[in-house]
Amino acid sequence: MQLKKLKPLTNEYLESIGFHWHTDDDNTSYISDEVVEITEDEATAYYEATNELYEMYCEAGEHVIENNLFHELNIPFNLVELIKQSWEDDVHWHLYGRFDLAGGIDGKPIKLIEFNADTPTSVFETAIIQWAMLKFNDLEESSQFNSLYESLKDNFKRFVTLNTPIEDFEKYYKDLNFKILFSSISESIEDENTVKLLQHIANEAGYITDFEYMEDVEFSNDGISKKDKIFEFWFKLIPWEDIAIDEGELAVLLTDIINNKKAIIVNPAYTVMFQSKGFMKILWDLYPNHPLLLETSFEPLNSKKQVEKMCFGREGANTAIINADNSLEIKTDGEYDNFKPIYQEYVEFPKDNNGDFYQAGVFYAYEACGLGFRKGGIILDNYSKFVGHIVK
Amino acid sequence: MSKKYIKKLSDFAVLGGVSAVLLTGFTGCEQKPQDGSGQDSSFTQANEKQNAFVIIEKQSTGGYTIVDEFPSSSTRIVLRELDGTERILTQAQIDQFVQQEAIKIDNGTSNLTKPQESISNGGMGLGEVLLSSIAGAMIGSYIGNKLFNNNNFKNNRSRNYKSPSTYSKSVNSFKKAKAAKASRKSGFFGNKSGSRTGSSSRFGG
Repeated sequence: MQLKKLKPLTNEYLESIGFHWHTDDDNTSYISDEVVEITEDEATAYYEATNELYEMYCEAGEHVIENNLFHELNIPFNLVELIKQSWEDDVHWHLYGRFDLAGGIDGKPIKLIEFNADTPTSVFETAIIQWAMLKFNDLEESSQFNSLYESLKDNFKRFVTLNTPIEDFEKYYKDLNFKILFSSISESIEDENTVKLLQHIANEAGYITDFEYMEDVEFSNDGISKKDKIFEFWFKLIPWEDIAIDEGELAVLLTDIINNKKAIIVNPAYTVMFQSKGFMKILWDLYPNHPLLLETSFEPLNSKKQVEKMCFGREGANTAIINADNSLEIKTDGEYDNFKPIYQEYVEFPKDNNGDFYQAGVFYAYEACGLGFRKGGIILDNYSKFVGHIVK
Repeated sequence: MSKKYIKKLSDFAVLGGVSAVLLTGFTGCEQKPQDGSGQDSSFTQANEKQNAFVIIEKQSTGGYTIVDEFPSSSTRIVLRELDGTERILTQAQIDQFVQQEAIKIDNGTSNLTKPQESISNGGMGLGEVLLSSIAGAMIGSYIGNKLFNNNNFKNNRSRNYKSPSTYSKSVNSFKKAKAAKASRKSGFFGNKSGSRTGSSSRFGG
């Protein structure tokens, strides 16, 4: 693995552009001062793998819906109608998601770890911060596999143009003037400014937008509103399964709102199918031994080193690595142990000279569009660092 | 590089909005962490105040044109030179351009108030382009009345945008939205807090 050391961005600069979560609670910098150097061929392989995986997710999504496999995926029952409704109609457009991948460098094959399809983090880091690092180091001629910002802008336009050319956006929009309300919970600056960056991109795309904290958004039979003003689109950086489990009444209201076509919610409810790690078992059923997949099962695998994780676990919580002889290598605690476990064949991440492991994150917004890395221990957790990249 | 998903930092024409964020951040970034004030975010106020973020590009013909403009919490003008370098105009520079233009409007030499056919081919000067942007309506509000009642200005205004679509997009994004009435329910996730450790996303993934 080739790493390039760079002069780190200052905290003052990061804060000046809205990036306040630059330092972890242990006082270490969240942004690595190294970037991963990859070849153009490696970038192309990530691009093609991600596009292929998304197509497989769509095929398998149809299979889940046709066969009512929601319970298998650990999806709360009160989301099923929302999922089906959103799946049926193209207006429920998937804005973005992030595929977490092992391999892709050091000659290691690319393997799917999971797909953060509903509320992926690292948008700001990938779209902005890793470009800022190059700029700060006068690397004007350096390249990245990274059109995340522009791709998000284009995909916002597709909320209106759908499958027709995005060049027609202005033509349609001037008659529609659909507004997007962006929401996060109020107590997390990372969530809030990530949402506000997306809002900024939607403004650039040409939308009328506004922001409101989750707890102050109003829901009724007439739709979704802020201070009496109804919005046609609502972007929420709040996981669907949390809506279903923690705020069941909201799930009911949103079902009515979608059924009555009063609003369109982003990301759409069907992304919770993709988000469920159980979905990778469905993929393995439909595409057995596919080179991009790791064997995944709802029961422990026989005589194989494997990872146990929860269908809706996050950031490495409630994860265990189990050796082929069934001994436990490592286990993390967390708040997700009420979810259903899955068992996925273990694969080692690329490793640097310090013994840190690297996982690639590739964003998908209509197509694969932006690469970034996370580095950390053998289970990547909330303390893992963001690592930018350069295409040589 | 031919692959469209691989981009070069120096390719500002492609990166566009990214370079603006690198320079100045974005509309939400004045919001400091954990202020707990709830409703009154800077952005909400910004929408009411209708400030703007404007990117103006120098033309090889010598004039200037508006490449993009959208609502923002504070008015910022980014000037992109021919070589792609970008800088933010200071308030003093903006004031100076506006005042110079005000004098020209008063004595009838501003291109903004001339009929189209008498404008020379060199294109609009920076002060002229600045004032014809929607931001200009706010920056130069004290001379706004002179301009908005002038038919030549109305005709010329859209010409200072790089394309008609940039202009209509800009006008649309500043339109006020209409109000509606309903019986509503709110307060969902009111008890969520960002108590987790590490980088602070509550719903990271």
